[in-house]
Amino acid sequence: MNKTPNAERPTSNVERLEPSTLGVGRSALDVKRFLWRILDFALAGIFIYAGALKAIDPVQFASDIDNYKLLPWPLSVAIAFYLPWLEIFCALALVFRFLYRGALSILTASIVVFTLATIAAKVRGLDITCGCFGHASQNWSFPSHLATNLAILAGLLALLFKAMSQNRLQNAA
Amino acid sequence: MKSSLVAQAVILAALALLPAAGEAIYFRDKISWRSAIAPSEMVTAEQAREFGGTAIWVDARPDEDFAKDHVPGAILLNEDRWNELLPQFLAAWAPGKKTVVYCSSLSCNASREVARRLRKEAQLSDVFVLEGGWEAWLKKK
Repeated sequence: MNKTPNAERPTSNVERLEPSTLGVGRSALDVKRFLWRILDFALAGIFIYAGALKAIDPVQFASDIDNYKLLPWPLSVAIAFYLPWLEIFCALALVFRFLYRGALSILTASIVVFTLATIAAKVRGLDITCGCFGHASQNWSFPSHLATNLAILAGLLALLFKAMSQNRLQNAA
Repeated sequence: MKSSLVAQAVILAALALLPAAGEAIYFRDKISWRSAIAPSEMVTAEQAREFGGTAIWVDARPDEDFAKDHVPGAILLNEDRWNELLPQFLAAWAPGKKTVVYCSSLSCNASREVARRLRKEAQLSDVFVLEGGWEAWLKKK
């Protein structure tokens, strides 16, 4: 019986797939990765912009934090100097995927705290002039503040859960 | 990097301290750690007295506190009746005058807000906040 060389060669599951199916699978994976990276860059861009705005004018930012009437003045000053740089460093970590999960957790925690502070200020009837974007967002309405924060939070949580599940898979392998 | 999430967060938090400390040193003359008012915008009771006749005293406390007692010659200008009281202050103000705003004590914010509005809305320069407010004035009286 004549056997063709192809018939004798063992084939893996991947090799048995139709070429067109394999192509679609790979490109879908690439598109997915590309979209996740876009989200990384978009959030990093937001935090670099927000951090830079506040780092340029820490005096104004300290005054903005003080408007929340939640912290003593010296602590507002310390946060005004520190928080913008923390945001910028975490944003750069998202871009370069270095200390990635740590950066995501810090940014998620900070946006949660900031959202709660915004809600608390609104409940107490304070006329706040501070937002994610420092004094630049002073004319935003409360719903705009809240919607922006929640959108950023959703993006960060999506990235964080993905990073955590990837990490679990890597540890299990 | 395979380090834990907490370790990564600690490294980032530590890294951010460096530029923050640098900025704090760079801005040391523009912001006070003790008070929300910049050192250049604040005067002590002694310094304010030295202004002599060039000073206009502005009382930013509520009406009833002003009615009880105030710095001699002070003009009432608080945020509660800002629009009503501002013309009275502007009538007394003249170019070259130094405005000294005070409220009850070191912890009150009214003088800071009134001073800020005078600079921003009335476009005035040489507006100062009295350090320690009315309490400091009484002690130095």
